[in-house]
Amino acid sequence: MTAMANVSWKWAAALLTIILALVPFWPGAIDSYLLSFLFFVFIYAVMAQGWNLVAGFGGQISLGSHAFFGLGAYTTAILWSGNYLWGSLYETFPRIYYFDPVTMVLSGLVAALAAALIGLPLLSKLRGDYFALGTLGFGEIVKVIFVNGGDFTGGAFGVIAPSSTFETLMPHYWTGLGLTVGTAVAIGWLMRSRYGLALIAVRDDEMAASANGINTLKVKVAAFAGSAFIAGLAGSLYSYYIFHVGPDSVFNLDWMLLPLMMTVVGGTGTILGPVLGAFIMYAVFDVARIIVPDYHPIISGLTIILAMLFLPKGLVRKILPMSVARN
Amino acid sequence: MTLPSPEILLQLSINGALGGAMYGVAAVGLSLIFGTMRLIFLAQGAMIILAAYLVRALFQHLGIDPFLSLLIMVPVGLVAGWLIYQGLFRKAAAEEDRNISLLIAVGVMFLVQNLMTVIWGGNTAAVVTTYTASGIELLGVRASFTRSMGFLIALAGTALVVLFLRKTLVGKAVRAASEDMTAATLMGISPHKVNAIAFAIGIALAGAAGVAVATTFPFNPFAGFIFSLKALVALALGGIGNVTGALAGGIILGLIEAYTQFFISGGWTNAIAYGVFLAVLMFKPEGLFSRPYKKA
Repeated sequence: MTAMANVSWKWAAALLTIILALVPFWPGAIDSYLLSFLFFVFIYAVMAQGWNLVAGFGGQISLGSHAFFGLGAYTTAILWSGNYLWGSLYETFPRIYYFDPVTMVLSGLVAALAAALIGLPLLSKLRGDYFALGTLGFGEIVKVIFVNGGDFTGGAFGVIAPSSTFETLMPHYWTGLGLTVGTAVAIGWLMRSRYGLALIAVRDDEMAASANGINTLKVKVAAFAGSAFIAGLAGSLYSYYIFHVGPDSVFNLDWMLLPLMMTVVGGTGTILGPVLGAFIMYAVFDVARIIVPDYHPIISGLTIILAMLFLPKGLVRKILPMSVARN
Repeated sequence: MTLPSPEILLQLSINGALGGAMYGVAAVGLSLIFGTMRLIFLAQGAMIILAAYLVRALFQHLGIDPFLSLLIMVPVGLVAGWLIYQGLFRKAAAEEDRNISLLIAVGVMFLVQNLMTVIWGGNTAAVVTTYTASGIELLGVRASFTRSMGFLIALAGTALVVLFLRKTLVGKAVRAASEDMTAATLMGISPHKVNAIAFAIGIALAGAAGVAVATTFPFNPFAGFIFSLKALVALALGGIGNVTGALAGGIILGLIEAYTQFFISGGWTNAIAYGVFLAVLMFKPEGLFSRPYKKA
């Protein structure tokens, strides 16, 4: 029975992915509100999935994911506007940086490297709330460094990428969908591997995990860096959307708080939770923004409080059978 | 670089210490709430700004002197804190997963911030009284009158909290719960009661801090979050759970900010403050003032 539910569940997810991938072909969909709505859902879902890796599965509450998002966005914008990567090829192919996989992966790697460098001392010394506070402090430091970074980071104004490359939202949409599905599948696969089991063991009982020969520091730092890599990818994707990457937009705390909230509403430590949470919460925020523009942050605040009071374990565990929710 | 004159150094120190006391009083509230609930109450800064707006409203509409409104703000804060705990955090406090209370705090922060924007607008507000510009001159150093009053409020508030924790039975129960909630519960202390008391006092302190902020700084609805962050830094400097340490941590943070602003540049103030914060968390997580084997 469980296996049946699992298999049919996977088919349903695959079918939904295909339907979503075909949405832009619907007549009129390209210029519709729906497409940009779903694009933002994807970005938040990717961010939420990344946070879920380190906090939901790893048990290490990080409050610094906006720093890694910003690092990814800045890396893409700086590489592009300064043409640091492709040299003379850039003149022949002026669109080479636009959705360039190398640039995007590098953006993720820069974020992951920063996470590994800061995670090593933080995670070896700090636990629980202290780690959370440390990552929060780290995020603020990164922001100040970029504001004071002179010409390289563009100071308080930021960096501008050539927005003339923008034609349609289609590449954004498909890349977003791809990253959402890709991170979900990759983390789902990872959590079944030896490493995933080790990560969950560290979350549930660090002492016992260590006694069983797991290098807990290595496992935690890897999860932290992996989550930063995902956040960096999301940041890179976002920079192709706004083109003007500035400290107040990409290092905004919302990039940490909203995905965190979405994950918890959807269900921490589940694969589907972050995606579902991102969809529902972003829908609530956006509907509130359209219907009552002056009051929408109040409604967002209320929604979080109500969700936490009545759905503390997350939506996924409430609406789906346990065997499905766990995957 | 030549060293500035002693007068300037003294002036810097006084300005820094007086300003830092505001962080300190916010940190004392955070410390109490964290002590019993293990919750980082991120909305504390928003509460302080809300109190500042209320002080301004009392002053503008009813003509009540900001410092006199302490007599209103503190009791209102006590009741509000009690209600906030009973209404919002009581259920979440019993949960193992502390993310839930943290997120409720975030929700409260969003709610309060934006409620203030809707009611009073997003622009910067200030309370200007006849004595706002006056100062006290001593040994060639000038201290602003309102800042000095804010400093006194912070000192008095902290002293009252310390007295309460040390001398009263309920205060001792709060301390016991901060040390070990399970053991305290076994001794017959109701966790909900001590949590609610910690919250009530924490929000009352926010009310007092609101008076100090309203009279000294221009403020806007979104200034609260930075305030919470600064209070967290002060909290870590003083040692989490150490009430007098939290006030001292705030004053140290104020000094650090004043010196970096003068000697380096205003743009780096935050980075240096958070750098010190990280260093303390990593190398002296028990705070700067703790003695081994003894908790305050």
